[in-house]
Amino acid sequence: MIMQLLGEVLKLTVLAGLSLAGILVILIWKKGLATKVTYLRFVIQALAMVAVFYMFTYPVWQLIVLIVILVMPLVLGRFFCGWLCPFGFYMDAITLLRKVLKVRHRNLPDRLNRFLHNFRYVLLLIFLGAPFILSLIDPPPSLNFATLMALVFAGPFEPFRVLLGPVIPLIVPWVGPLEIGGLYFSYPYVQEVILYSNMAFSEIFVTVTALIFVALTVVGSFFVRRVWCRFCPTGASLAVVNRFRGFKWAPALHIDKDEEKCTKCGICKRVCPVQVTEVYEQKGGKIDTSMCMLCMRCVEMCPYEGCLKVNIGGKTVFKSRNWLEPSTVE
Amino acid sequence: MNSQSVEKKYMPEISQKEIEELRNTIQATSQKIIAENIEKMKKTDPDRPKAMQYFDEMANFVTREKEIRAAKEKGKKVIGYTCLFAPLELVLASGAIPVRVSSGWYDAAKLGDRVVPVEVCPVVRSTIGAKMIGLSPYLEVSDALISVLTCDGMTKLGEILSDYKPVWPMTLPRVKDSEQSTRLWREEIKAVKGQIEALTGNKVGRKQLKSAIELTQKATKAFRRLQELRKGSPVIMGRDAMLVNQTYMWDNIERWTEKTAALCDELEERARQKNWACPPDTPRVMVTGTPMIWPDNWKLPTLVEEGVPEGVLVADELCSSERLLYDPVGVDEWSMNDMLNAISERYLMASTCPCLTSKDGNEDRINWLLNKIKEWNVQGVIYYVVRGCMLYAMEYTRVKKVLDRLGIPIYYLDTEYTREDVGQMKTRVEAFLEMLTARIDL
Repeated sequence: MIMQLLGEVLKLTVLAGLSLAGILVILIWKKGLATKVTYLRFVIQALAMVAVFYMFTYPVWQLIVLIVILVMPLVLGRFFCGWLCPFGFYMDAITLLRKVLKVRHRNLPDRLNRFLHNFRYVLLLIFLGAPFILSLIDPPPSLNFATLMALVFAGPFEPFRVLLGPVIPLIVPWVGPLEIGGLYFSYPYVQEVILYSNMAFSEIFVTVTALIFVALTVVGSFFVRRVWCRFCPTGASLAVVNRFRGFKWAPALHIDKDEEKCTKCGICKRVCPVQVTEVYEQKGGKIDTSMCMLCMRCVEMCPYEGCLKVNIGGKTVFKSRNWLEPSTVE
Repeated sequence: MNSQSVEKKYMPEISQKEIEELRNTIQATSQKIIAENIEKMKKTDPDRPKAMQYFDEMANFVTREKEIRAAKEKGKKVIGYTCLFAPLELVLASGAIPVRVSSGWYDAAKLGDRVVPVEVCPVVRSTIGAKMIGLSPYLEVSDALISVLTCDGMTKLGEILSDYKPVWPMTLPRVKDSEQSTRLWREEIKAVKGQIEALTGNKVGRKQLKSAIELTQKATKAFRRLQELRKGSPVIMGRDAMLVNQTYMWDNIERWTEKTAALCDELEERARQKNWACPPDTPRVMVTGTPMIWPDNWKLPTLVEEGVPEGVLVADELCSSERLLYDPVGVDEWSMNDMLNAISERYLMASTCPCLTSKDGNEDRINWLLNKIKEWNVQGVIYYVVRGCMLYAMEYTRVKKVLDRLGIPIYYLDTEYTREDVGQMKTRVEAFLEMLTARIDL
């Protein structure tokens, strides 16, 4: 058992090493471009994916990951979505492939984008509420806190799994949906898709629906940047915190805009992978939106020195700089 | 040229003899004025940066005209533009030479009176006059003109110039940040791309466009270095910097970038040695308003920097100077679609031209001014308007309100394309500078 696990860990390490090496190659190949943060993010995303894999080797860590992604937004906003989420990493990888192939991306209409953003709360409610509704329709022998918890965490719907959905690494340390050479491969949400469709359809359809889901998200994110992040329910649970009044300060990590330095050139709006318009539209001060995943692409691409800043608790950690590099002498 | 055979919609018939006569006189005056202006600039700063020599040479029109004509012989096309909304990257990508054809000759403005009433903006009248007698070399050599319909004057200027050569009008939406406007402007950019391709016979492909964008990005980089250097104590006189910026309008952009970078190197060295162009406590002035175009319309900068007391121009908000290159084309992904979007947004959305408005009016311009005033430590602003420039004149009230709140003195200076009011302007400018000096001493 331990040997098997070690073998899998070894395989994964090799895989992670290979992907990191690939990223480094791209980094060197693209050197000189003003996209340093994007590649730094890429490396961190890859590392995060490996870290998540290791965490998932112990079932209790699933709960810890869940707590972390629920509590983190208080301090870091949706930093998790932009920098750590493995599903985001896959979509970014697909975006990179598209860039290499020189295929243009499509934007969703702004209204649809906003609708999807709100729709994620509905999705979240459905998933979280399903076990309770189910327990009302088909009451368990004794309805108390313990059984409810059992429903949430071990019931047929396992809603916490939905929250963990995007965090699933490509190779999972448990018995996953697809086995090749002793390694179990998975994909975000695929287990859930299988679980739910298993209730409704026969075995063959389960595979088909899973494949359709994978194909849809892959093709979708090829044409639309970060397509899943527009309505991902996990993003909602993160973002919802700063909607409450007492939590206006909530994401200590946020983007700040200096109105006077802004010429409204629209670059920030165009480069945003989830089409956040607030950075462009808002006049100045703290950018107040729960759509932003803090990927910092806008800060990186803004050509006006100090116009956009990433602040954490009032301290600037990163700011837009004149990426055309001004003179060093004062 | 088949221009003779085409019936002219606007231009009056002038005899060849009169044209020759007028051209010779005005050209002679022009050459004299150029020499005089440069002489004055040398006198103000006796230890002028050596790299300025190149820009002096570029400023005399003759050198660059020869070069462009030689390039034309080899089959290159020249595309002129009146307003800086014309997408230079597309012109460059097609292998054509972009030149700005707005004219700054005072005497030509008088000729323009024969076509349009005297109330019309003198930049427009002067350009018409220059065309009438073939004065502006860049207007003469250009094969086609991109006329962006910005203000009223420029709109009709394109129409009038179409008496002579193909003019491609581009509709500029007046609201700059709405979805419809950006869509319209993007279509206009695509349309003009087609026209450029048809004229030059070169297809603007992804590679060409990418290298053209990189070329202007490099130019912006050099340009920004120069402006950054003007933030501290003055290492360069404002007129010199303005001339450098202005030569971008007709120079070979690659060479311009190189030479500007060389100038910046020299200035950085001077800054290290604390070799200032004028005493560091000289009042720091900024000009905003109507474009000032070389060679004739140079009287305000000259008056400011030669005044008693002396002032120094550290920043400006003129579409003939700092606005030319302040904004880079920021490309996210190098696909054709994204590059075209980036170009169209750079020209429309980042512009602070008063012919545009938005939800907050022309707030971008206010922000630009505030940013310049703070970062460049500006002590006084001269609001320069030529008579007939409605849009700039009308925005004055708003700018004044904002600057009054900040306690920055602003002075409204209106003038004409004429040398007659120089004496009177001198008194006004010097009074303003004196007030600034008094404020600094306080």
